[in-house]
Parts: sequence; C-alpha cells; structure tokens
Amino acid sequence: MPSHDARRASAEGAGDPDPLAGSSGRRLSRRSMLHTVATAGAAGLAATALGAAASPAAAATRHPSPGSGSTAKAASGPLVVHVRDARSGDIEVFSGTSQTRLRDKDLAARIARAAG
Amino acid sequence: MSSHREAPEISKDPVADSTDVYAFVSPDKPNTVTLIANYIPLQLPSGGPNFYEFGDDVLYEIHIDNDGDGQADISYQFRFSTTVRDPGTFLYNTGPIGSLSDPNWNRVQTYDVSVVAGGSSSTLGRGLPCPPCNIGPRSTPNYAALAAAAVNSLGGGISVFAGQRAEAFFVDLGSIFDLGDLRPFQNLHLIPTPAAPGVNATNDLNVHSIAIQVPISTVTRSGRPTIGVWTSASRQKARIYDADAGEYVNAGPFVQVSRLGNPLVNEVVIPLGQKDLWNSLPPSDDKKFAGYVTQPGLAALLPVLYPKTFPNLAAAVAAKTPRADLEAILLTGIPSGIITGFTNFTGSVLADMLRLNTTIKPTAKPNILGLIGGDPAGFPNGRRVIDDVVTIELRAIAGVTYPLVAPSYKPDAAAGEISDFVPAPPAIGSPPISTFPYLGVPYSGYNEPS
Repeated sequence: MPSHDARRASAEGAGDPDPLAGSSGRRLSRRSMLHTVATAGAAGLAATALGAAASPAAAATRHPSPGSGSTAKAASGPLVVHVRDARSGDIEVFSGTSQTRLRDKDLAARIARAAG
Repeated sequence: MSSHREAPEISKDPVADSTDVYAFVSPDKPNTVTLIANYIPLQLPSGGPNFYEFGDDVLYEIHIDNDGDGQADISYQFRFSTTVRDPGTFLYNTGPIGSLSDPNWNRVQTYDVSVVAGGSSSTLGRGLPCPPCNIGPRSTPNYAALAAAAVNSLGGGISVFAGQRAEAFFVDLGSIFDLGDLRPFQNLHLIPTPAAPGVNATNDLNVHSIAIQVPISTVTRSGRPTIGVWTSASRQKARIYDADAGEYVNAGPFVQVSRLGNPLVNEVVIPLGQKDLWNSLPPSDDKKFAGYVTQPGLAALLPVLYPKTFPNLAAAVAAKTPRADLEAILLTGIPSGIITGFTNFTGSVLADMLRLNTTIKPTAKPNILGLIGGDPAGFPNGRRVIDDVVTIELRAIAGVTYPLVAPSYKPDAAAGEISDFVPAPPAIGSPPISTFPYLGVPYSGYNEPS
C-alpha cells in the first residue's frame, strides 16, 4: 500500500489532462494556474536554490511525490522557497507536488540578503 | 454540529471543511453501498452572485479501510475544475439554465474521479459535470431534473454525484453551544429557563455533497463484511497570493487539513487544543486521542450543567473507569456477543471511522435512533441520512450504552430521554429522496432567501 502522500500525488498526476481544454472560456483551474502563472519572486529564489543544491556544500533531501513529474515539468510551474531557519540553513523548496529539504547556510544567507 | 466548523483552522477554510459523512447499504440497490461526504457548511441558499462550489485546489477523498488497520485500502479521489464562460458579466447565469450544457450557465464546475487501491491509481471518470447551485425559479426552473442529470454512471455498477444538496443533518446549534443547553430540558439546566421546543439551526441550508455508490463486492474482503469509512480534504503545502494575476498559486505535496468519520467526534470529544492536529492525521493514529473518547468531557459536564439529573453518570465519571462502550462505538466497532446478532467490530486498532457491516440489509421501517432504537441498519452501523446522530451520541455519552459493557450500571432516567428535539425532530424542508444521492434537493436562493 502506498503512502498517503504517494496516493495523493498519483491522483494529481492522473488528473493532469484537462477535460475542458479548448473551451472558449477562461480557465480558472489550479492546474492551469500552475502552468501559466509566473510568480517572479518565488521562481527567482527557487532557481537560486536549485542551483545551490548541486553544490558540494548543500545537502538536500528530496521528498518526491509520484505524479510531480520531471524536472522540466516542475520548472514550468512556480517554485516556492521557505527558509525555515536562516541560521542553520534549513530550507524547503516546493515545486509541483514535490518538496525538497535543503541544509545550506550560504544559500539561506543569500536569500535572507535578497529579502532585505 | 456534526463537523461543521469544528476546529479552529478548518473553520477558516469552508471549501475544505467536511461536515458529515454517510455510509449505508443502498436501500434501493442493496448489493451496493453509498458513501457521501459533505463539504462547505451552512450555505445560505441566496449566497450569490458567487455561489458555492468545490475548491479546485483541494483534493477530496473518501476512504475505505477493509482490513481493520485504520488505514485506507481504497480511496476515491475527486478533483474539481472551474470554467468561466463569459468573464465579461457579473452573472452566475445569463438566462435560465435548462441543462448541464446550457450556455446560459456562466460558471461551470466539472470533476475527475479516480480510485487508489493496491498501490495503483485508476481513473473512473473525467470531466464529469456538477449541477449549478439552486438559484431560483427564473434561473434554475427545473432544478430536480437538472441535478438528476448530474448523476453519472461510471460502469462497473458505480454511480457518482458531486454538487449542492439540502442539509440533512439536524441540530439545535443555537441552544447546544449555549453552555450545553437543550431547550426541551432547559428548565433543569444550571441556568434555567422554561422548557421550549428545539429549533433546527440547519433547516433551509445547503451543503456540497460528494457521493459515490459502489458494489459491496468491490470494497469488502472475503470474510470481512465490515468496512471503515471516512473522508479527508488536503491542500498543497505552499500557497501564495499572486497579486499580479489576482490568484492563489500552490506548490508542494498535498497535506491533510480536514478529516471526518464518526459525527461529532472532533466537534465535541476532541479538546480545542488538539482539533487541528486531529484533522491532520489518519484514523490509524487515533490511539493518542482514545482517552478523550473513553472519558469524554461532555460526560463530566452533563451532571454539572443539569444538577441532580445525572447522579449515576456523575458517579461513573468520578470512578474514572474508561467507557469501553464508547470506545467500541467510535473506535473499534461493537464486538459480537454484546448485542444479539450484531457486530461491526473491525479489530483492536483504535480508529475513528464509520463502521458499516454490509451484511445488514436496509429496513423498510428505519428508526432514526439507529442501533439504540433497535434498528441495526442505522448509526453506529454506518450512518444513514435520516439518523439522529446528535441524540444517539448524546444518550450514549449520558450512559444508555454503558450497561452493554458494565451490566451493573443503571443509566439515569434522563439519559434515555435527552435530545435537542422532543418528542421528535422537526420535519426537514427538503427531505431526503429515495434514490441516489439520497440527500434532498437543495433549497433555492429565491425560495429560502434568509
């Protein structure tokens, strides 16, 4: 039996095809928001975060959810970064239906400086 | 209320707030069970121009445990999508809505249904139509037919419906949350006033229902006819408001924000400081809340609020003996040998779920007091839309079911009489119907404007 989160994510993936695609009206679904809305601030921070995650100084624990899709898919939607504790470098990155936990003091400090 | 606005956090998120769950053997199709989860509490029918709808960003689920471990073996999942056909008008509808495809209906909601079982997910239906809300005779002139058209057959004996219905739960909210007052007995209250008839606070209000009817054979295991049922709603972890787009955007895994199995458990059994936590956990974690069930605060309050009315209950509370009867009713099911010919026991795992023994067939003359009224087809054997769960649980907590496990205990006379409605609940304006989805036709804004 899959985990609760895994099962939720499966449904998320299964629901991706849009039954009303092509209708003339404006779409207000959450899915379309994820694909079309650019949240500049969050995405900018996230791009920094993902870049830093590849560095040797960064430790990352990814909690993927089936259905969250490939990196390309995740990058097409908003990335939301939550610096839980700037002092210890505890960072969460939310993308699609996935969550990545980082511990990167340098990145946390850069984000904190960017936040003013 | 059963679970309307029952916890601090979820009371601020109505579209994800589950209000009632029903699970019963379908009276007109006894080889099936009907599972209903209601959301969006206390809808004033005239609440336009943005009438009520499910959350596109909420994952709604109805779960079934069929092996007694308090974890979902089968989960039916529902995801909604909303379309505005003409964003240039403020109107919900630009003329009468004569059908589910009527272009006069401006804000349309559809949904996908999938089932998760055995580690895999299968889509049961895509783009299924919800009915509109019931607006009034000019906008939704033949509402019953409109809603009936939104009952979808998915094959394999499965039917599904999602949309607005009339509230079937009845309770005197205004009274019971005024320091546990029961109007018919308020002359006995610590702060007495003359006795008066109860008032159904949910009369003429609507909810949004997710209902699915499935063959019993597809949800039970061999030799285990009793299923545990609950609903949950989940949101993605991260949510920010995109002011440029004027919309919320979401990211991250889904996390549970609402849960409901047995009525009134999170409402009046779980203490205020634990309610949000309870909503976030699966039933399999309910062992940590078991003390609130077996020594409920309400049992201690009744003798205080109604002096000299519950002396035997007061003595039982003072003895601090855990109420095994309440544990059985709410957390394990009732083992065989307790009530002749009846069991809905699922095992020793303490888990808040509606437990439905699917071998007990519907009765032609149901008793709204269910099992304590001599009708084993009703609550706490599952729950039907007609069941008076407030009275049943109130009387159980007051001690009427305690002799099932403590034969020497004599319930107080008042325990078998208390209710917020005496001699019987008032008739519901839009009563349940005899076919799926069973809940009554929703009240219209025109006819029930306030």
